[in-house]
Amino acid sequence: MNRTLQFSKRNLLEISRDVLSYIFCIGFPLVMLVIMTLVNESIPKEAGMTIFRIDNLAGGIGIFGLTFVMLFSAMAVSKDRTSSFLIRMYASPMKSSDFTNGYLLPMLVVALAQSVLSFIASLLISLIVGDALNPLGLLAGILALLPSALFFIFIGILFGTLFNEKAAPGLCSIIISLGSFLGGIWFDAEGTGGVMLKICKCTPFLYCTKSVRSALHLTFDWEGFWLPILIVTASAAVMAVLSTLVFRKKMKADLA
Amino acid sequence: MEKSIAIQTKGLTKRYKEKVAVDHLNLTVYEGEMLALLGVNGAGKTTTIRMLSGLSVPTEGTAQILGRDVIKEKDQVKALIGISPQDTAVAENLTVEENLSFMAGICLERKDEVKSRVEEILKGFHLEEVRSKLAKTLSGGWKRKLSIAMAIIGKPKVLYLDEPTLGLDVLARRELWREIEGLKSQMTIILTTHYMEEAEALADRIAIMIDGQLALTGTLSELEEVTGKKGLEEVFVSVAERKALD
Repeated sequence: MNRTLQFSKRNLLEISRDVLSYIFCIGFPLVMLVIMTLVNESIPKEAGMTIFRIDNLAGGIGIFGLTFVMLFSAMAVSKDRTSSFLIRMYASPMKSSDFTNGYLLPMLVVALAQSVLSFIASLLISLIVGDALNPLGLLAGILALLPSALFFIFIGILFGTLFNEKAAPGLCSIIISLGSFLGGIWFDAEGTGGVMLKICKCTPFLYCTKSVRSALHLTFDWEGFWLPILIVTASAAVMAVLSTLVFRKKMKADLA
Repeated sequence: MEKSIAIQTKGLTKRYKEKVAVDHLNLTVYEGEMLALLGVNGAGKTTTIRMLSGLSVPTEGTAQILGRDVIKEKDQVKALIGISPQDTAVAENLTVEENLSFMAGICLERKDEVKSRVEEILKGFHLEEVRSKLAKTLSGGWKRKLSIAMAIIGKPKVLYLDEPTLGLDVLARRELWREIEGLKSQMTIILTTHYMEEAEALADRIAIMIDGQLALTGTLSELEEVTGKKGLEEVFVSVAERKALD
């Protein structure tokens, strides 16, 4: 545990001193929150479009921000793998679980900080636009974001293990686009229906957004919250096992 | 008095498909000794270090570090060794002090020992003036110094320095030599290099590797006596030419 914590501390320091992590993990989601609120304010009420209303937007932005945590997880792992830093670490008494947990923990801290900040910003915006969010819902939303955070972080660790420093961010940006689109962050997937909804339902992204939005509304029914959160948790577990196994296999191959 | 053996390899071999990187290496390094593994690029020096560190599995043969087998007792071996890889493997966004604390936290068992060990290394390795600087802002020489300091912070019994002065200017190299010199007799050291003057200046014994094989081992005077040449460069050229004719 001590070695995991030491490695986590190092990774957290590395991320906290990279200005890009503030731009992408904190700044960009907040900018999108403001822009989409302005878009919402510009849409005529009679259009009946609620996707960018702050109570829906806050959850979507929460998930959107996590896709950038995924990007930074991938970058952290791939950067270490490309440099000879991991060679030094492989020769130390660290185990493969120390590495994966050491990447996971600081990213969870980043995800949590990001969620808290974006929800605080959402609360302020909701007060300004006169559609106040429930603080209890925001707390529930933060908790509901955790399985999604794990899901995205493990995807990041997996991509960072499989691909190099140049390829991993590029591939992550595909997941960011897919996640935002199929997750129904920027359009009402369930309102669209048809083939599009069927495709969205085949990926965990829609359930990530759905579970957080339900938690923000303090609606804990089976369809809206429990089923989505179970799917997201199961997906996170699958990604956890997959990324750990792949990291272990790659480490073994590096040491062959 | 008989000297204790720190590192012993018997028939140590590494093959990558068709290429034989290290070919039946029989090497003995004694405790407290500094051995320079000398050879041109691709001679098999780094592969040897990798196998001795448990970073690469030998295709054939055995290697023991202070009586521990590098394959069967990998975890125990890791606790005995320190390595400064060819590239400066430091955490770029951490300060010098944070890099040292991090490695001390990984390598030392007792938590209360970490702080005092970091101070000891900062002072002993003359890193105090750059202790608060981020590693990425350091010059090549300082980075190498930090890399070696990180390798010894866990109090290893055996230290591997893989091309520690590669790419450094003459002043930075001399400065690093002084630090490496200071480590002698505190631990057993294998230093890989292709700089003749470095091996000559620092090592107690020199092992010349050519095409993955150990061509000659001994003190400089022993090598001069065997080859009938004066100076390490002449010795090396003579060994390499003889090997090419075989």
